[in-house]
Amino acid sequence: MRCGVFLCECGGNISGVLDLDSLADVARGADGIVSVSRSQFMCGTEGRRLIEQAVEDRGLDRFVIGACSRRFQGPTFERIARELRLGENAVAFANLREGCSFVHRDEPEKAQSKAEKIVAAAIARAGFQSDLPRGRTFLHRSALIVGGGIAGVAAAEELAGAGIDVHLVEREQSLGGYMARLSKTFPTEDCAMCSLAPQLTGAALEPRTHIHTLTDVTEISGPPGEFRVKLRHRPRFVSEACVGCDDCTPVCPVSVSSEFDLGVAKRKAISRPFANAVPSLYAIDKRGASPCKSACPAGTSAQGYVALVAEGRFDEAYGVASAPNPFPSVCGRICTHPCESACARGDVDEPIAIAALKRFVADRVGPEIVVEKAPLVHSEKVAIVGAGPAGLTCARDLAKLGYQTTVFEALPVAGGMLKTGIPAYRLPKDVLGREIAAITALGVKVETGKRAGKDFSIDGLLADGYGAAFLAVGLQKSSEVEIAGAELEGTLRAVEFLRELNLGEKVTVGDRVVVIGGGDVALDAARSAIRLQKGSGREPDVTLAYRRTRAEMPALAEDVEQALEEGLKVEFLVAPLKIVGKKGHVSALELQRCELGEPDDSGRRRSVPIEGDFVEIAADNVVLAIGQEIVADFLEGCEGVEVERSQIQIDRETLMTGKAGVFAGGDAAATGGWTAIEAIAAGSRAARSIHNFLRGEQLLEIWPAKAAEARPSDEELAGQVVGQRVPAPLRNGAERRADWGEVVGTYSEEDAIAEANRCLNCAVCSECESCVKACPAGAIELDQTETIEELAVGAIIVTTGHKEFDARRKRPLGFGRFPNVVTQSQLARLLAPSGPTAGELKRPSDGSIPKKIFMLQCVGSRDCSSSGNEHCSAICCLFATLHASLIKQHDPDADVTIGYTDMRTPGKAHEEYYRLVQERGVRYVRSRSGEILEQPDGGLLVRFEDTVTGRKNEEVFDMVVLSAGLEASDGTTEIAHVAGLQQSSAGFIKEYHPKLRPVDTQRPGIFVAGTAQGPKSIPDTIAQAKAAAARVVSMLSAGYVLTPAQVASSDSEQCIGCGICVEVCPQGAAALTVGDSPHAVVDANSCRGCGICAAECPSGAMTLGGFSDEEILAEVMV
Amino acid sequence: MSEALVEEQAQAAETEDAERKIIGFFCRECAYAAADATGNARISLPPTIRSVLVPCTGRVSPLHLLKALADGADGVYLAGCLVGQCHYREGNLHAIDRVEFARALLQSVGVEPERVQMFTMSAADSPKFVAAARKMHETISNLPPLKRK
Repeated sequence: MRCGVFLCECGGNISGVLDLDSLADVARGADGIVSVSRSQFMCGTEGRRLIEQAVEDRGLDRFVIGACSRRFQGPTFERIARELRLGENAVAFANLREGCSFVHRDEPEKAQSKAEKIVAAAIARAGFQSDLPRGRTFLHRSALIVGGGIAGVAAAEELAGAGIDVHLVEREQSLGGYMARLSKTFPTEDCAMCSLAPQLTGAALEPRTHIHTLTDVTEISGPPGEFRVKLRHRPRFVSEACVGCDDCTPVCPVSVSSEFDLGVAKRKAISRPFANAVPSLYAIDKRGASPCKSACPAGTSAQGYVALVAEGRFDEAYGVASAPNPFPSVCGRICTHPCESACARGDVDEPIAIAALKRFVADRVGPEIVVEKAPLVHSEKVAIVGAGPAGLTCARDLAKLGYQTTVFEALPVAGGMLKTGIPAYRLPKDVLGREIAAITALGVKVETGKRAGKDFSIDGLLADGYGAAFLAVGLQKSSEVEIAGAELEGTLRAVEFLRELNLGEKVTVGDRVVVIGGGDVALDAARSAIRLQKGSGREPDVTLAYRRTRAEMPALAEDVEQALEEGLKVEFLVAPLKIVGKKGHVSALELQRCELGEPDDSGRRRSVPIEGDFVEIAADNVVLAIGQEIVADFLEGCEGVEVERSQIQIDRETLMTGKAGVFAGGDAAATGGWTAIEAIAAGSRAARSIHNFLRGEQLLEIWPAKAAEARPSDEELAGQVVGQRVPAPLRNGAERRADWGEVVGTYSEEDAIAEANRCLNCAVCSECESCVKACPAGAIELDQTETIEELAVGAIIVTTGHKEFDARRKRPLGFGRFPNVVTQSQLARLLAPSGPTAGELKRPSDGSIPKKIFMLQCVGSRDCSSSGNEHCSAICCLFATLHASLIKQHDPDADVTIGYTDMRTPGKAHEEYYRLVQERGVRYVRSRSGEILEQPDGGLLVRFEDTVTGRKNEEVFDMVVLSAGLEASDGTTEIAHVAGLQQSSAGFIKEYHPKLRPVDTQRPGIFVAGTAQGPKSIPDTIAQAKAAAARVVSMLSAGYVLTPAQVASSDSEQCIGCGICVEVCPQGAAALTVGDSPHAVVDANSCRGCGICAAECPSGAMTLGGFSDEEILAEVMV
Repeated sequence: MSEALVEEQAQAAETEDAERKIIGFFCRECAYAAADATGNARISLPPTIRSVLVPCTGRVSPLHLLKALADGADGVYLAGCLVGQCHYREGNLHAIDRVEFARALLQSVGVEPERVQMFTMSAADSPKFVAAARKMHETISNLPPLKRK
């Protein structure tokens, strides 16, 4: 080696402690040293000249700089080495200043000896330093800006002006960010929107700026210059066709808290945050399917009709409720309502009474609906066997699709189990009749008294010109129970018992009835028996015998409750042993007592007999209500249609049986539970499947894809006021058991609206489609989905901004608990002419004009407690001063007090403005506030200590405004993770160097500006944004960037392919090659040179450029 | 020169009152910056400490720690970023593991494990840097010079 040593005096900083001449002499004696010199300032031009000359005269191939820390002037000397064509790794550093002269001034002898070793170590290290190869990355002349607030928009303007394509990404639906929310700006008191709006419009009109709203950046990979970026575009559900006419928002029934108005106003599910929004399109906030919709087998938009009921729009509510379901009045009464079980309100207090609301609208609107015959579109006819809910729904849906349908029914009446299974006190016959009439009015033919297998055959139907058949025959027979005495007179089967009763045949029961079972059918039989006894002048004596306890009963809880009110007796934990007879007639039922054991496969606890414990109940009738079976004899000879375990076998996807064109559903071929709503859903699916079959193509989704369930967060649920459901009218138990009149009544209009208003609007958009009908431009597209886009960009600017400190974290201040405690940003909305009060300041609690206002500074800022942030939020003193001034100008009598810690007003014209506002009569009190207490009239008692006098004060104000500080926005935290950027306190993005490179991040090619970097005013934000744009311009103007020199590399000969480097690399830069003998390779563009891989590598194949083992050990061993 | 120095060092190590040699591997992102801040504030440090700049404490392998001790150092320590704040995610955690490993190894051959230590600090925490340097100096000064065979 031919090495030079250059010692720096640092203007005496080094030479004042160390004897550099002596040091130079020692250095001259070292191997390979061909030149030693000193300079007053090596980092200056003289230093550079010395190095240049030595390289030329002495043929140096490397050199040692004995000067300050490598962290200060390292880049300067590396640059000289590069420019002298030695390569930047040709320089080694001896830290003589921070590492020696500065810290050992009081021990010059030891300092001198240490300096000799430091220089020797650097010389030794230099001997191992070799040139590091560097590649070139070519640059995309485009940039990504993340965050569409004023910083992003300002940076975009500069970049587009420099001819660079800009992708401006914003997660909200419009550009504008925080500035769009402000009323006026300090210190000029000019309107925020007046300066912002032209900027936004400018961005929209600039052809080089591509605006992506409702978009998240999900991935950033690749090297600076050619970053690969993944964008996730969330659906807007409104197309570019939107003309911004606002016809949609008045008809939208869903109101939620407005994010744009920071919670001080509401917005609709379809909305535009402000008039000058860019883009000007509306957007729908649709978060998936509400839990009620997800739970409904028929996919009914329960949230939709509930929202419409809440607005008193009953006709439209009926439209939503009846669209998927021809039996809304029926289901409003007897549905097992899985929607209510899923309802999120149930986690707060009680679920919304969804079924009762459906019943209300259906009873109110249904009778007024005039149904017209559906036009026939297709030539094929469809036969439906069984006029229950599945069959009739299928017939209706097919009729609406334009098919002629005929429903064949064995019994003399239509309705199936709704008619013959459910007693009139639960479902009045005229209600069912009306909904069936609405189906036949469409042109559906119902032929009663036509029994399959006797009056016609399935094969015959197909031969007769029916294109398809749907078997919805239900389960028409009680299951046979193996119990001794079942043949005795007085033993009844529940299904048959109820059918005879509901068909109006003469049915009698004895004085004592025992019903075995715990389901809906058992209860219907038991409660019917009570009415039969009461109707013939006897005192009811009906006992239900159930093998488990009330908690395990499959029947609906409200039905059990009602039955008990009607005098039903229940024996829990008993299993029937035998029916005891006397003279061929039932006389008693013998039961085995049981206890609960381990849960079975269905999760219900098993009932286990208690040995030797029996009980006998005297009875004249025993009703068996333990399951139902199919009556399948009509399928004899019908090839391809199989029945197993009482179910017709179907292909679950298409509902088709083994015979082409023959479909089945409902209780006879269940795909879910055996309930009315499942049958209705099956009918609809069958109709869609039959349509696809007859048309020969997949036109309709048989099982529509379910959107992800949307549910309020636990935090939102916890914030709800606990109340209760509005009860529906219920007849007295003793009274109602004497007749067959309906037990439960319908809501009044008032009650229905009150109940519907309890809805939490889980999915926000309720999919009621009111906007679809109202939009004159046809712009609503409810089926839009998320899309992913990939871009290549040269550079990235992060302008993701801040959020307001959550003042609820300061509980004694009452924010979130007392309505008249607001934050400074909320006040901005209340003072904004475009805000909810049109610029007039009104108290949130009662709308009165506040006369006495207290503003509390430093909420969550300059706060070393665990609930606050240490930093000063920089803008709050002026933000409060501005708002106080605005209030005083609007109402000179208003008394505005600002309780401050210290007034901080640096910045141009800020101090002058502060003085002006003081003169306007705003009171500034240097103070510290302990707590705020709400008065009965909504006033607020503020306890504070005057920190000038030390006096403790109490004063009542009409309103309190908290100057909550600034924290990194959620978007800032997310982009920090996605881009691998470092965050400093309170989450702000850390800059590369706080003074010298304030808009660079630690990751080359990614820059930061605005409040994402730290709290600052609008002018500072814009200045920083333009600085970041300038950095991007200078970077992209170079045409190419060099890959970093200090990167890891692996020797493929030495590598054993263990993959440990791949595991430990924090950048994902290391990978194994594929093939027989895999070895590690490092992507030089992604490597950031930490060297973890080199330290972990077991074979010594991996090394880090500039920090090889030899280089490190050379320094250590001297 | 370097060979001469090594020799001198070896001789010095044989006497109890010889000047000790402590190698500190300082992370470029934090501890080295704290060291620079310490120097700029002209705070005195024990001259026994010799700093070696590394990009991340995760670059330092057990080999470096043991070689330093084998070739003349009486103590060696790492100063890296605070846990959870490594600029390369987990480099400092790797370093902590390797220090543990080296200490266990030393103990097994009868060398005091406290000759190898790990410290963490932020770039701004000059006092913590000074405390670490003084603690290291004190620990090593209270131990005899490391005897090598």
